[in-house]
Amino acid sequence: MAFEKELSDFLRSVEKRAFKRAVYSVRDEDAALDIVQDAMIKLAENYADRPSAEWPPLFQRILANATMDWFRRQKVRGSLFKNFSDFESASDDADYDFLETLEALAGNTATESASDAHSREQVLSMIEAAIGELPGRQREAFLLRYWEELDVAETAAAMGCSEGSVKTHCSRAVHALAKALKAKGIVP
Amino acid sequence: MTENPSQRLARIAALESRLGLRLADRLSEGAEKLPHDVTERLRFARGVALSRAPRPATQVEVYGSGKGLALGGSWWRPVASVLQVLALAAGFFLIGHLHSQAQISAAAEIDAALLSDDLPPEAYNDPGFVEFLKTSAD
Repeated sequence: MAFEKELSDFLRSVEKRAFKRAVYSVRDEDAALDIVQDAMIKLAENYADRPSAEWPPLFQRILANATMDWFRRQKVRGSLFKNFSDFESASDDADYDFLETLEALAGNTATESASDAHSREQVLSMIEAAIGELPGRQREAFLLRYWEELDVAETAAAMGCSEGSVKTHCSRAVHALAKALKAKGIVP
Repeated sequence: MTENPSQRLARIAALESRLGLRLADRLSEGAEKLPHDVTERLRFARGVALSRAPRPATQVEVYGSGKGLALGGSWWRPVASVLQVLALAAGFFLIGHLHSQAQISAAAEIDAALLSDDLPPEAYNDPGFVEFLKTSAD
């Protein structure tokens, strides 16, 4: 059936990234799998009849809500606050030059990125660790914009915030990642 | 040549996008190398979700070729509905008929048993029985 295949293809296309995003948030693979399954079921039960073009932002919103529900169930207020804090400043290091770092990281070629000191897996692991350290809203905005490739408006809808907030979260996330990776000598 | 603030902001935004996309590429590489047990759990979850999806209303349509011969839901649906209603009415009628026949048979058996039985003399003191005899005589 075409409808079922379309939904299956969509879920297959997003499930791995959804799992990784959930892992970045909850840091528990079993919990992340449960969250992704809940999100898939909710999308299928409640929104399968919507046009397929609406599924990506809907699924991201459902996934974010499922993640929040998981935190609520855990009742770990400290963890919740830590993961979803938005109160961090963009920088507390006066000597750190964003532009210089961004140019250095974004301008590197692929051959330069094949670092002798780190295997690709190690680099990936460090990138994932840096992403895991981001405040929750910044991480969500970054992953939705650059990984899920939603536009600013779709990201804002998925996150339930303004487009301006999305831009701010994304910018801060990229700067924080650049700073963290530079400190570790990582070139993505 | 110095750049004005808006040019600087645009350059920063472009660099942010490039770095963001590059990091996302690396994350995608990692996501494609998930352990087998994780991919199996995801496949199972996908199956569960699909089984919960409400199915869209199906229409069985068989189209003939050429002159628009179609069994696709135009004329036969009301005919089928009428046939169903007629079958239901016939069923009710048959059940009612059989039920009344059974009641008549049962009453006749009781009357026959009463009439063929030995009649006790005190029965003639029963006004109801006397009335029954008068009615029967009529």
